Amino acid sequence: MDKALARRLEARFESVLHGPARQRHDQTEIRIGAGDVQEVLRALHDEPDLDFRMLADLAGVDTGTEMQVVYHLWSATTSDWLRVITEGLSREDPRVPSVTFLWQGAEWMERETYDMFGITFEGNRDLRRIYMPPDYTSFPLRKDFYLPDDAARSPGAGVRHVERTQSPVDAAPGVLRQTRA
Amino acid sequence: MTVMTRTWDRLTLPGKALFILIPLLAVLTLGLVITLALFGQQILDILVFNLPIVRFVFAVTVLMLIFVPMAFVIIYMEMKIIALMNLRMGPDRVGPWGTLLSTIHGLKVLMKEDFTPSGADAVVFTWAPVVVFSTAVLSAMVLPFAPGLYGQDFNIGLLYFFAVGGMTVVGLLMGGWSSFNKYSLIGGIRSAAQIVSYEIPLTLSVVGLVILAGTMSLNTIVEQQGLSGWATDWYAFRQPLGFLIFAIAATAEANRTPFDLTEADSEIVAGFATEYSGMRFGFFFFAEYINVFIISAITVVLFLGGWNAPFPVPHIAWELNPGTLGIGLLLLLAIVPVVATLVFALPFYLFRSKTRWWVALILGFVMFNVVAGGLLSLWAYINFDWVAGLFWFTAKAFGLVFLFVWMRGTLPRVRIDQLMGFAWKWLLPAALVNLFVTALAVMVIDVLNGGAA
Amino acid sequence: MATETPPRPTAEPRPTGEPKPAPKGTHRSEDDPNVLLQDDYDFYEPIPPYAPRTEREAEFYTLGDGEMFLNMGPQHPSTHGVLRVVLKLDGERVVDIDPVLGYLHRGVEKLVENADYHQTISQVDPLEYISSLFCEWAPVTAYERLLDVEVPRRAEYIRVLSGELNRISSHALFLGWFALDLGGLTPILWSFIERDEIVEMLAALTGQRMLFNYFRIGGVNGDLNHEFMSRLGDWMSRAASQLEAGMGLLNENEIFVRRASGLGVVDRETALRYCMTGPNLRATGVPFDLRRTHPYSIYPELDFDIPTRSEGDCLARYLVRMEEIKQSLRIIDQCLEQMPDGPIMAKLPRLIRPRPGRAWAAVEGPRGVYGAYAISDGSDQPFRLKIHDPSFIHLQAVGALLPGHLLADTMAIMASLDPIMGGVDK
Repeated sequence: MDKALARRLEARFESVLHGPARQRHDQTEIRIGAGDVQEVLRALHDEPDLDFRMLADLAGVDTGTEMQVVYHLWSATTSDWLRVITEGLSREDPRVPSVTFLWQGAEWMERETYDMFGITFEGNRDLRRIYMPPDYTSFPLRKDFYLPDDAARSPGAGVRHVERTQSPVDAAPGVLRQTRA
Repeated sequence: MTVMTRTWDRLTLPGKALFILIPLLAVLTLGLVITLALFGQQILDILVFNLPIVRFVFAVTVLMLIFVPMAFVIIYMEMKIIALMNLRMGPDRVGPWGTLLSTIHGLKVLMKEDFTPSGADAVVFTWAPVVVFSTAVLSAMVLPFAPGLYGQDFNIGLLYFFAVGGMTVVGLLMGGWSSFNKYSLIGGIRSAAQIVSYEIPLTLSVVGLVILAGTMSLNTIVEQQGLSGWATDWYAFRQPLGFLIFAIAATAEANRTPFDLTEADSEIVAGFATEYSGMRFGFFFFAEYINVFIISAITVVLFLGGWNAPFPVPHIAWELNPGTLGIGLLLLLAIVPVVATLVFALPFYLFRSKTRWWVALILGFVMFNVVAGGLLSLWAYINFDWVAGLFWFTAKAFGLVFLFVWMRGTLPRVRIDQLMGFAWKWLLPAALVNLFVTALAVMVIDVLNGGAA
Repeated sequence: MATETPPRPTAEPRPTGEPKPAPKGTHRSEDDPNVLLQDDYDFYEPIPPYAPRTEREAEFYTLGDGEMFLNMGPQHPSTHGVLRVVLKLDGERVVDIDPVLGYLHRGVEKLVENADYHQTISQVDPLEYISSLFCEWAPVTAYERLLDVEVPRRAEYIRVLSGELNRISSHALFLGWFALDLGGLTPILWSFIERDEIVEMLAALTGQRMLFNYFRIGGVNGDLNHEFMSRLGDWMSRAASQLEAGMGLLNENEIFVRRASGLGVVDRETALRYCMTGPNLRATGVPFDLRRTHPYSIYPELDFDIPTRSEGDCLARYLVRMEEIKQSLRIIDQCLEQMPDGPIMAKLPRLIRPRPGRAWAAVEGPRGVYGAYAISDGSDQPFRLKIHDPSFIHLQAVGALLPGHLLADTMAIMASLDPIMGGVDK
C-alpha cells in the first residue's frame, strides 16, 4: 500500500475526485466523473511523477443503478496498481470519452465494453460489436439481461441454491440486485 | 418371358457377369480370329509402316500404367518417412506396415463425389488436371531408364523434356483460374510466377553440360557418363555448380518444400487444388508425385550417370544353359523346391521349440522363395544389361526422391519474394557464370589440343 | 412453484411434392429446392452484407484500385482456433486487416456471475486452454484479496511450480505452431514430446491433462504426489538437452531465421500504446515482467532473469520465449529445493461470502498479463468478474503489425504473437 501515492493523487486531482482515494492491498482507487476522464488519464499518463504508461485493463460494470468504466493502470513510480473508476453513467445512455488517443490498444477493450454493456465511447472510431453478431440488439452483461437457458427458468429451478440467478423470474423490471461495493 | 426373368434373377452377381461376358468373349475371339485370318497381313503392314506412332502409343500406355503404382510408392514413402522423422508411427494398418494405405487413398478419391463449384469455368476446370497429368507422362517419354529401355530417343531430348515439362504450369494456371476461388487464383498465379522464373536457371544450368556433351540426346549423355565405368565420369563432378543450380531449380519446378508455395497449406489452403475433389484432385495429386520422380530421374540422367553403376562391376560369366541338362531339368524343378523348403524349415523347427511344424514349413517355403528370387535377380542382373541399368537407375532416382522427402520433413517454406529474389539474383547469375566458364574452358582446351578455335 | 415451461418448438414436417412458388424477388436453387436465392444474387456481393456501422468499417470495406478482399477463416487450416480475418490485399501484399471475433464466445463473464465462487474456477479454466493454470491463478488471487485470506507458503510454492511447468508447455507448443505456420512440419511434433510429458505430469498432480481446475481459493486442490514427483524428476534430468534439440531444429535454420527476422517489427512505444505485455513486449526491449516489476506469490524469493531483446520482430519474440523456458527450468529447480512443509489450503468456510468490495489481481502468464477484476456484493456469487486476457490485446496488435507484409506472413506474424482464441473470445 503506497500512502504517498494516495496523497499525491488527492493533491493533484483534488477538484475532480469523488471522495478520497481508497486503498486496499496493493491497489489504490480513485473515482471521477465521466467528464474528467480524458483530463485525468492524460495527466496520469504524461506527467513524469505519475507516469502511468501501461493500461492493464478497461472494464465496464453495471451496478444495477448506474454504469461504471474502470481503468487499471500500472506505473514504475509506485508499487500499487491504480484503479480509476468513472462512475455515475446513466443506464439509459451511458457515454464516456474514449482513451484511444492515449492507448491505441484500448480500442478493442472499449469495443468489448460497448458490446457487453452498451457504453458509448466517444472518440473511438471503430465502436461496433466485437463478439456478438452485428444484428444483435441487447447488451448481455447488463444486470437486466437473463440467459435464455437460465437455470432459474427451468423446471429444476430451486433445487440447488447455487444454480439460481440473482433475480426471480417474475421480478418487476426495476427490481434489481444492487451492489454495495 | 417370365421364365427367363426368373432364371436371370436367381443368378448371383458373378454369375450374371459370367453369363454376359463368356458369350461376348466368344464372339469377340471369333471376330478377331476371322479378322486376322482375312486381313492379318494388311494390319501388320499398317503397323510396321507407322512404327513410330505405334511405339509412341505403346510407350505412353506403359508409362501411364507404371506411374500410378509408382506414385503410390512415393506417397507411401513420404507418409512413412516423414512420420518417422516426426517421431510418429505413420501408416501401419492397411497391409503389411501400412504399405497399402496409398492404394486405399487412390480408391478413395475414385469413389468421392466429383463436383464443380458454381461459378467455375467448367470446361477449363475439368481439363486442368488432365493437362497436368498428361504433361507429366509425356515428359517422361524421353527418359532413358536402362540401355534400350526408353520411350523415344530424340536428338533434342533435353529440349523436349523442358518444353513439355514446362507445360505443367499451364495446367496449374488453368486450375487456379477456373476454380472461382481467390486461394486457387493466388496459388495458380504463384505457380506461374515460380515455374516460369525457375525454368530459366534450370535450363541455363544444363547448357554447360550440353556444351561438354555435344548433344542433347539423353541416351548419348548417359552413355558418355559410363565410359570409364567409374562415378568420376558423371557430370555432377564435371559441372558441380550446374548440378547445384539444377537441383535447387528442379525442387522449385516440382513445387516441393521449401518451394511449395503453390499449395502452401498454412497460407492459401491448398492453392490451385482448393476446389478440386474426387479423381480430379487425384490427378493433381498423382501428377505432383510423378513429377517428383521425373525430376529425380532427369537429375540422375543428366548428372548422376543414369543407368551406369558408380564403379565398374566385375564381369562374371554365369551362363545357364538349361537345354544341356535334358531330363535332369525336370527333376531339378520338381525336387529342388521340396528339398530347399525342408532345409530352410529345419532351423525354424529345431531352434525354437514353440514353432509348430507347419509354421516352420511355411517359413521355409517363404525363405526358399526369397533365396530363389534373389538368385534369379542376380542372374538377370549379370546377364541382362537392361536389368542392371534399371536397378542402378531406380536406386539413384529413389535416393533423390528420399532427399526430396527429407527436405520436406526438415525445412520451413520460403516466402514468395525470397523465392523470386533467389531465382533472379543468385541462381540466374550463377548459371550464366557456369555457362561462361564451361564455354571458355572448352575453347581453351580445344586450342591447347591444337584444334581450330 | 409451478413455472410454465414454454412449449418446445417442433420441427416442421418437410414439405412433400411440388415446392411452393418462391416469393417475389427470389428463386429456388436448382441444387436444393428448399434453398431460396435472391434473384439479383451476385457472386461479387460486397462484404459485409449490411451497411457499415462505423467510420473505420466503411473505410476498410471500400476497395481501392487493384485491391481485393480475402476471407481467411474461420475454416482456414492455419488460423489458430476459429478466427476469421478479412484481409485487404494488393496482389500478395496486405493493405489492411479486419479480424472478426466471436466464433468461440461463451460469455464466460456472464456465466461466472451466475455461479458460486468455487464454480467460477472451472468456468475460467478453458479461456486459454494452453495455459489454464494462469487463467485460474488471477481470479483465485482476486478472490483471496476480497477475502483477505493468507495462502500457505507450501501452496504458493506448488502454484509457482505447476505454473512454471505450464509456462514451459505453452512455450513449447508456441515453438511448434510458429514453425508450422512458416511451413515446417516437424518441430510441432518434436515440441509435443515436451508438452506431452509436462501435461502427463500435471495430470498426475491435478487429475486433468488440459483444463486443470487445480487452484482453490486459499490454496491448491491436492498435495504433491509420488507419481508427479517421479515424472518431474525424470524429466528435469533431460529437459534442458531435450528442449535444446528441439530449438536447434529452428535456431540454426537459415530459411527460418531469414523469414522470421525483420518480420512484424514493433517498437517499444507502439507496443506500450497497444497495451502489449509479456514476451511480446519484452521482445521490444521493455523489461516488464510482473514477476519482477510487481512481485506476487513467492517470486521475490526466487532467483531468475527477465530475458529481453531489442529487435521487436518475430524472431525476437520467438527467442525471448525460448529464453524464458530456460528461466522457468531454473525456477522449478529452486522451487523443488526450497519447497517448505505445511498445509496446502487456508482455513476457509465451504460457502464463501466475501465482504462487499473490489479487487484486482494480475499474474504473468506465458502470453502476458492475465488480470481478474472481481467485485463482491456480499453474496456467494461474484457480482462481476472481468477477465483481462493478453491474447485479446495481442490479436488487436496484428492490425498494426501486418500491413505491408505479404500474405504468406499473415499467419506467421499472428503465430508469433501467440494468441489463443479461447482467451480472445472469452
